[in-house]
Formats: sequence, structure tokens, C-alpha cells
Amino acid sequence: MRRPLQTTLLVLSGIGLLRVSLFTDLYLRYVTEGMRPLLIASGALLILLGVADAVSYARRREGDEHTDHGDSGHGHHHSGAPRAAWLLFLPALSLLFHAPPALGAYTASRQPPKVITHEDDFDPLPATSPLPMTLSDFIRRVQQDRTRAIKGRTVQLTGFVTSDKQGDSWFLTRIVISCCAADAQSVKVRIHRTPAPPANTWVAVTGTWHPGGKLGTSSAPAALDARSVEKIAKPANAYTDALPLTPTR
Amino acid sequence: MQRTEERAGEAEATDADRTAGDDTAPGWPRFWPLLLLGAATVPGVVLYLGGRWMETPAMQAWRTVCLAVTVQALPFLLLGTALSGAINAFVPAEVFSRVLPRRPVLAVPVAGAAGVVLPGCECASVPVANRLIGRGVTPAAAFAFLLSAPAINPVVLTATAVAFPGHPAMVAARLLASLGTALVMGWLWLWLGRAEWLRPVARHRGHQAGGSRWQEFRVGFQHDFLHAGGFLVVGAMAAATFNVAVPPSVVDTFSGSPWLSVLFLAGLAIVLAVCSEADAFVAASLSGFSPVARLTFMVVGPMVDLKLIALQAGTFGRAFAIRFSAATVVVAVLSSALIGGALL
Repeated sequence: MRRPLQTTLLVLSGIGLLRVSLFTDLYLRYVTEGMRPLLIASGALLILLGVADAVSYARRREGDEHTDHGDSGHGHHHSGAPRAAWLLFLPALSLLFHAPPALGAYTASRQPPKVITHEDDFDPLPATSPLPMTLSDFIRRVQQDRTRAIKGRTVQLTGFVTSDKQGDSWFLTRIVISCCAADAQSVKVRIHRTPAPPANTWVAVTGTWHPGGKLGTSSAPAALDARSVEKIAKPANAYTDALPLTPTR
Repeated sequence: MQRTEERAGEAEATDADRTAGDDTAPGWPRFWPLLLLGAATVPGVVLYLGGRWMETPAMQAWRTVCLAVTVQALPFLLLGTALSGAINAFVPAEVFSRVLPRRPVLAVPVAGAAGVVLPGCECASVPVANRLIGRGVTPAAAFAFLLSAPAINPVVLTATAVAFPGHPAMVAARLLASLGTALVMGWLWLWLGRAEWLRPVARHRGHQAGGSRWQEFRVGFQHDFLHAGGFLVVGAMAAATFNVAVPPSVVDTFSGSPWLSVLFLAGLAIVLAVCSEADAFVAASLSGFSPVARLTFMVVGPMVDLKLIALQAGTFGRAFAIRFSAATVVVAVLSSALIGGALL
């Protein structure tokens, strides 16, 4: 790879990283929030490296022109990068011009549901109605809470739509990552009694637990009888199972 | 439909080419418009179809996972290559010969335990190990460091403790099994390893009198980064392919038999190429498997996976990467089975 191309590659990668981490929130499609400072630092470092390379290249050429002694090519072989470096253009250009979307219904429909962590003590549920809950909290209340506090309560869950090929129900889904999108896992709650909105739409569903099995044990289905389904904006950090920060209208 | 049209267009174009070549100037202008038309439409159609194909959900997921692995690893790769550049330019070679025991058999455990100090995932350790060899550290010790650093540093052990709350034995087992594998591999290299498997090490060997240290640091850093970065992309593509092509529901079919599940999770660790700081969370989620199988997943993952094999092949040469990775998998599985059987 020629020297000027190496410089271009370094600067492009740096700008690409800064674009997704500093100027936009696009990095949240790939990694967790905690990576932001590291990504910004990496982007700045790459640009710095590229600029330093350009400066030293320009200086050396100038020096070569002035002195013009026979072995000017002598020291230049050190800077040759291997052909594999060309591949770095792919992520760099992808970050700059065509960042792929966050994982969604396609990934979720192919995955078994994530295992929900176990909890023994449950506080009484707040009296608000409808009660906003995360999908994991809801599943925990349905399958682990022996006090059955969830029975008869109206709750509001948010997530995106994953359709289910068999049957007339669909899944309200969240994809959760712990490091990057390669370790994505999905949390799903089955939604009954409403037609499925188009896949990947973000919605808030209000409803009550869909009875079945024995409430408070793992035989109870993680399912909801929906009363209303509202479209909402996609949250900035979609790879978490958290309550939306702004109240949904 | 479009595809056949496109093929026809190409055939016409080549026909036109041939005739154009056969007769000289007089026949040329007749096919000129056809050629021009072909040149104008074929790339457009190819681009359009390619674009459509790239936008299918499977390809989008593939691109997202591929980019995610790359973006996640880049900062750590930069850290590793910066460190390797700094070792090259600023650390005199005598330091290593003074710190490490003279006898290679003893240098291996010291270097393996020194892996504790490199806080990062596996991408950082490959360039550092390569540079250590370049500065005269015995390869066996450098390999022990290469294998232990991503698995036993405080960041990774903390992540493991968080992922397995209430199971301190899991953290201890991971530490011991990883360190054990690293040491055995170091000694194995002393016993069986051959220098000719290794690609001759990098051209910039330390600080040259008269050169600027900063200039040397920059050149080494840039070279190592571009080199390793290219192979990182190869590994990320391979990992994304497996991630999208193998549905995770396949996982459940193997969880029944204890031996099969250990081997299956070892294989899964290799193809998934999850970063060592995250693999504990993935292991924790594979709840259908025995603790020993999950330990194997966490011991094999940071030492051997698709992106690491690609990185090692680029750094040390293909002959080395294949032999070393194969041996490491065997040792790591045995070590996790032994230590997991005793502790878990």
C-alpha cells in the first residue's frame, strides 16, 4: 500500500469513528455506551497518526528533492503496509457513509429468549396504572413472584415488534447486549389480542397478564393481553431493557 | 428477470468486443452504441442488485455484527499496537533480560503471570507478544504472555465475577485454568516448537542510534496497526458469518451430554469470537450447559478464536497460527475439564 493511501486510510478511519461516536449516537448500534470515550480517543488518535504521517512524508519528499542523493529509496521500504490493510477501508467507509442499522426482528426471531436472572424478594408494586415496566421485570413478576402482585394489574411495556409465523400473536422484543452486537440476546413477551404491527416498529403496549399455567412459577407464560398498542420513537439506546426516559404519549 | 437481462447484456458486450477486435476500423462504429449501452447499464444493474442484496435483513445483520466486532476491538488494538510501538522505541532490550529469568523454563511462568498487567482483550496482546519476541524475549515466554494476558487481567476477572454472582469458584477456576493453559503451552513450545514455523520478526528492531525515538515509535505503531487491523477485519467477517448463519437454537441440541457439551462450547467460543471482556456474560447466558462446559467456553475464547487466528496468521505466519491454535484448544479443553472438575 502506497504511503499517501495509508495516510488516507488512517484519517478516514479516524473521521469515521468520530462521526459515529462524537457527532452522532450511531455507535450505540454496535457497542455499549461505556465505549464512547474509548472510541472518541481512538478516532482522534487515528487522525493524529494520519496527519503526522502526511507531515513526515511531505518533509521527506522535500528533503529528497533538495539533497537528491542516490539512495533516496533506501529508507522507504519500512513504511510498506501489507495488502490486508486494504480491508480496513470497508469498516472506515461503512462508518462514514453507510452505517448498518441496529439489530432487530431478524436477529430476535432466530434466538431463544434470554434467561431472566432470578430474584427472591419482590417489593410491592407501585399503585400507578398503567404501570410502566421493563420486559425483564414483567417476566420476573409473572414467573418468580409468589405473591402474585401482577395479577389483574394493567402494565405498560415498550419494545419493538417481532412477528411470529405460527399463530395470531406476536412478540414485543428488546435486544440486550453486554459488550457489542455480536453477543446480542433477546428478551421477548408474547402479545395477544391485537394484530401485529409491521416488524421492527417500536411500540408501547398496555394490557394485563395473559392467564395460563400457575402464576408465580415458570409454568406461567410471559404473555400479555393487549388493550392498546401505540407507536413510539425508537429510544437512543435501544440495546437495553430499560424504561423509556420520556413518558410516552 | 433482471439477472438474465444483465447476463444477455454482458454476452452482447463480449460479442461486440470480439467482432470489434476482428474487423478493424470499418466494423467498429456499428457496435459502438451497443458497447456504450452495455458499459452504461451493466455496472448500474450489478450495483442495484448488489445494493438490494446488501439490504436484506440477513445481510444487514451480518454487516452490523461485523462492524460491531471491528468497532469494539479497534480501541484495544490501538492500545496494543501503541504499546508494542513504545516497547520497540523506548524500552531498552536489557530490561527484558534483567527482569525475566535467564533460563527459558523459568521465564515462562514469570511472563505468564505478567499477563495480569495488560488490561484489555485479546486483540491487544498479539502485537505486544510479537514485539517482545523482536526484542529478544524467548518465544515460549512471549506465548505464555500472549495466552494469559487477555484471560487473567483484572478487567476480565471482574466481568466474570459480575456475570456469575455468588460463584467465586468460577472466577478462581477461570484464573487457574487460563494460567495453566498458558504455562503448559509455553513449556510445550520449549519442548516441541521450531523456530522455522515463525515468520522472521519485524524489520524495525529497537532504537537505532541517530534516529528520532518518536519517529520510530510512530512508524512502528502505524505499521503494526495497519497490519493487524486488516486481519482483524478478516476475523470479524468470519465471526459475523457464523453468528448470522448458525442459529443459536442449535446450541440447545448439544447441551445434553457432558462431554459433547464441553467440546461444543469450545467450538462455539472459537467461531463466535466474542471479546474476552464480554464472554463471561455470554457464558452466563448459556444456562443449559454444565459449569465445566461454560468454563471451557471462557478459557478457550480469549486464547483461540477466528479473529485471533487471522491476527496470528498475519503476525507470526500461517504455519505457526494453525499448529499453535490447534495445540492450544486441546490443552485448554483438558485444563478446563481438570480444574473445572476439581473446583466446580
